[in-house]
Amino acid sequence: MPTSAYLLLGAALFCMGVFGVLTRRNAIGVLIGVELMTNAVNLNLIALSRANGHLTGQAFALFSLALTVAEVIVGLAIVLLLYRSHRSVLTDSAVEMKG
Amino acid sequence: MNIASPITLAAVAVMAPLATFLIIGLIAPLRRSGKPAAWVGILGATTSTVAAALLVVDGRSDILIADWLGAGGKFFASIGFQVDGISASMLLVVSLVAWCVQVFSLGYMSDETPAGLGRYYTWHSLFLFSMNGLVMSPNALQLFLCWELVGLASYLLIGFYFRKPSAGRAAVKAFWITKLADIGLGAGLVALYVLTAKASPDGLGSFDWSPQVAQAIGTGGATVVAGLFFVAVMGKSAQFPLHIWLPDAMEGPTPVSALLHAATMVAAGVYLVVRAYPLFQAAPDVLLFMTYLGAWTAIFAAVIATVQTDIKKVLAYSTCSQLGYMVSGLGAGSLFGGYFHLFTHAGFKALLFLGAGALIHAVHSNELTDMGGLWRKMKLSGTAFILGALALAGVPGLAGFFSKDTILEALHASGQTVPWLMLLLAAGLTAFYMTRVVALALFGKPGHHTEHAHEAPASMLIPVLLLAVTAVGAGYMGGPLAKMVGAEYAFHWSMTGIIATSLGLLGIAAGWAIYGARIVTAEQLAVFAPIGNFIRASAVDRSAAWVYRNAMLGLGSGIAWFDRYVVDGVMNLTAWLAMSGGQQLRTFQSGRAGDYVYAVLVGVVLLVAAGLWNA
Amino acid sequence: MSQHLLDFTVAAPAFAALLLLFIPVRAMNVVRGVSLVGALAHLGGAIAVALNYDRAVGGVQMVSTHAVVPSMGIALTFGVDGWGVPLLLLTAVMLTTGVFASWNVQPRARDFFVLLLLLTSGVAGVFVSLDLFIFFLCYEIAVLPMYLLIAIWGTAKKVEAAGPFRFVWKMLDVGGKEYAAMKLTLMLLAGSALILAAMLALYTGAGSTSFDLRHLAMTTYAPSVQTWGFLAIWIGFGALAGVWPFHTWSPDGHAAAPTAVSMLHAGVLMKLGAFGVIRIGMILLPEGARDWVWLVGSVAMINIVYGAMSAMAQKDLKYIVAYSSVSHMGVVMLGAATLTINGWNGAVFQMVAHGLMTGLFFALVGLVYGRSHSRWVPDMGGFANKMPAVAVFFTIASLSSLGLPGLAGFVAEFLVFLGAWQSGQVIWAVAGLVGAFVTAVYVLRASKSIFWGPGPSEQFHDLTDAHGTEWVALTVLATALIVLGIWPRLGLDFIDIATSEYLPAVAQQTLEALR
Repeated sequence: MPTSAYLLLGAALFCMGVFGVLTRRNAIGVLIGVELMTNAVNLNLIALSRANGHLTGQAFALFSLALTVAEVIVGLAIVLLLYRSHRSVLTDSAVEMKG
Repeated sequence: MNIASPITLAAVAVMAPLATFLIIGLIAPLRRSGKPAAWVGILGATTSTVAAALLVVDGRSDILIADWLGAGGKFFASIGFQVDGISASMLLVVSLVAWCVQVFSLGYMSDETPAGLGRYYTWHSLFLFSMNGLVMSPNALQLFLCWELVGLASYLLIGFYFRKPSAGRAAVKAFWITKLADIGLGAGLVALYVLTAKASPDGLGSFDWSPQVAQAIGTGGATVVAGLFFVAVMGKSAQFPLHIWLPDAMEGPTPVSALLHAATMVAAGVYLVVRAYPLFQAAPDVLLFMTYLGAWTAIFAAVIATVQTDIKKVLAYSTCSQLGYMVSGLGAGSLFGGYFHLFTHAGFKALLFLGAGALIHAVHSNELTDMGGLWRKMKLSGTAFILGALALAGVPGLAGFFSKDTILEALHASGQTVPWLMLLLAAGLTAFYMTRVVALALFGKPGHHTEHAHEAPASMLIPVLLLAVTAVGAGYMGGPLAKMVGAEYAFHWSMTGIIATSLGLLGIAAGWAIYGARIVTAEQLAVFAPIGNFIRASAVDRSAAWVYRNAMLGLGSGIAWFDRYVVDGVMNLTAWLAMSGGQQLRTFQSGRAGDYVYAVLVGVVLLVAAGLWNA
Repeated sequence: MSQHLLDFTVAAPAFAALLLLFIPVRAMNVVRGVSLVGALAHLGGAIAVALNYDRAVGGVQMVSTHAVVPSMGIALTFGVDGWGVPLLLLTAVMLTTGVFASWNVQPRARDFFVLLLLLTSGVAGVFVSLDLFIFFLCYEIAVLPMYLLIAIWGTAKKVEAAGPFRFVWKMLDVGGKEYAAMKLTLMLLAGSALILAAMLALYTGAGSTSFDLRHLAMTTYAPSVQTWGFLAIWIGFGALAGVWPFHTWSPDGHAAAPTAVSMLHAGVLMKLGAFGVIRIGMILLPEGARDWVWLVGSVAMINIVYGAMSAMAQKDLKYIVAYSSVSHMGVVMLGAATLTINGWNGAVFQMVAHGLMTGLFFALVGLVYGRSHSRWVPDMGGFANKMPAVAVFFTIASLSSLGLPGLAGFVAEFLVFLGAWQSGQVIWAVAGLVGAFVTAVYVLRASKSIFWGPGPSEQFHDLTDAHGTEWVALTVLATALIVLGIWPRLGLDFIDIATSEYLPAVAQQTLEALR
């Protein structure tokens, strides 16, 4: 399979992630969108690593996975707190930073 | 006689009142005890008087100075004592009158609370210290220092009855007017310093008033300096139009009026001219101005004095008038004439005020109409008062006659005909209004309180009688005094003297005819009422009040408004602009996470596009 | 010993402040005790410095250096010159009397004293700093605590909306204490930005090797640095000195501040501004100073007359005193602008004299306000019946303010006027004299309205005279005013040394021609 196919898949995944982040009002949906975006990046890293014959990309992907886990934990914790304080997981309900 | 060096005596005369000021002022229990504090004050005045008398007898001159201000490691200003004929004789006059007044006050202020009496003598001691310091000044700077301090003492003593709103107003007014005039003395000193600094090889100026200084700064410089000095003289010595504070100053206790506002402090202006005479002599324009202004003040104040109903106001305007005499005499070039009149005037005017104080004390009123017929009740005080009045009126043989004559002669000799005529007229008016006072207060119809009046106590009588002696005898001191000043004097009759005497006697006769013998009825007198009312309306005073209220306070309010709402307004506007700018920008912050992601996305796209564009 | 004397003197209040942080808030007497000890140690140090300073030698003495950032040439260098001695003493006296004046400050007394002491260390640091960076650092330490001191312990006064900019009232609480504190801080910090820029220009202009003032003073800067650098420093420091039109923080700030803060701020902090203009602006940038003295002097003239006229129209006691500071600081700047020896001597002497005088004024105002709960002069009257000693001290302060001989204010003003006339600007001297007259009008009017007359009215039932620790501040300050007025050489002999050293380079004429 040519590398471009992986990259195209990655791009598609990323766009879906962005679309999810932008359109979802549910915080968990947003989180899933973010996950899609990071995984798109991971896919790119691995694909390019294979194409270049370097292992650095794969190592980086592993790091990224570990970070994603941490990020999800923090993200879910925020969602949980959001639910506790606002009785809702809709992002529109948290507008305390409105100027 | 050689008891102590002149400097020691001068130091004692100046420092004794300072010591009593500090003792009474700082030791609160003593001050609040009243009478003991008064005795301490009198002790200080006695010491000064004795020292001054010894100094006059001693007759030697000396000077002691200490460096006071400097620049670049060298000194240009000093303070100290200068003993010579002028300062020694003036010191004696000041201390003696102060002693008389302080003793007189023991009786006069007997109704005052102990704490009030203590305060009274504290300020009196401060005054005597400052005035003696002024008299002994070796240069114009120290004179200025003490000049302002006597102004302070005057402010405090006029405002002695500080609970009375009118006393507060009068005190502040006196301070303001003299302070306004003192701008002249301050500027004159600065000018003197700068001019002498230019002329001196080491670049340091001085505040000396010696003939050498006058020569160094030339006529132009001397005119500037003397002219500026004279502005302050106009304030302190109550010359037109800055005389307006003096009548109001009568709000103070009568002995204070006698000491400060008749005999000594107001004469400080004349004393300044006497001391700085070399500078004035080098400025003929200033002298000419003085001659005219003094003569105008003499006649102007004398006219006002004729219509006053308050005995102290009559005497106050009379003081203005007599100070005008002195200034005019000095302007005509007669140093001795001006100083001689200062000398005699101090005695008889203090006598008149203290005598008036005795009358006021007896009837508890200042109004001439409330007095009347007091002669029968108060023979001794009355006699003394009449002596003072005659001395002021210029009756031959009494003190005022000789000194006034000297001034008139000087004017005649210098060819100043117009001021000479004005002063002659003023002499007649003086005799007239003093006769009026005597006729109304001592003779005439008895007032409400006359029945209960009785002779003053000894503490008041002794000073009055002592001053009565000077009112009679001071005129004969002309010769010795002239020698101390460095002039020559011997009395002889002249045309001027005869005219002045006749006018004086005419004034007395007219005054007695109208107010004593009453050959004109009250209805006939009423014809002149409009004129009297016009004079009493005191246009100068009103103009000054108008300027203060509208021009000064108005300008102040305007500037304050400008500062608050325009200058500060611009500062607030800056803050407002920043804040409203923020208000506009805050709408971008929706608070929604989604909007921020959009913003990030747009940013990324733009950055990438920019990168591709540049690539 | 003597090389650490300045370190000790400057650090003593800051050390006491540090110590206070470990003391429980409730232990009021311990808090007061530690503050007082800190203040007295500072005062003792300042006196020791004065005694140790050898006038025959002159110059900068008791120098102590600790390297801070050697690579940039920043060092904690302290050294005292003839100006430093009286100014350091003034600072110490103001701190000590300020501690006494805030003996019963409420609430959070401990925090109040911490800030007060810290600020004083900053002030003292400025006066003896020989390193431009440390100079600036201390300057900021002195200025910033003011925000908290005013915002927390201040009092507010409503200002009515009016004038062409009345729409700002919708957004700003004009006259409120937060407003006053914020205005003061922002205006002074805006000034600091200018100073910082000028400071960097000086540093780079001198080869970027050292911030040492002595090193910088030996550098001749390019004309553009001279001209614009001086202007920036004049406006930057001038904002603190109350230079018109950057003075408007002063009336509101001083009116809102608590007693001791007003005392220190008007008494010492404003002097930092004037000191900065002379010490940094004029001495390091002489050509720039000569270019701009016409403006500095003319604005000072405005300050004097305009400040006095504004004070005359005020009815709030604190505003009267605050505007009088604006007017009197004009005398300092006028003296500086004359570039003559008498003018500079007078300017520095006026810093001391005005510091003592205004300190006394604010202490008295605090006393009157604390008892009458009013600052509105037209309501008052007859207070002398209940508080005679306060009346006497108020009169002394008033008289010094209007330049009565025998009190310190006269000497300062007189020297400045001598300098002004000598510099050929007769109008400056005349404006100064007119200002002194207007001062006489408003201080005596205020004194009469408050203390004289019958009364006081029912509204003021709990008036009492000064008592206890209150006497300390009043007596010390009044005595200092009188002593310096009678024998000015106590201060002038020190001041003259430094002036004679610094001035010739600035005025570029022989000393003889400048006297």
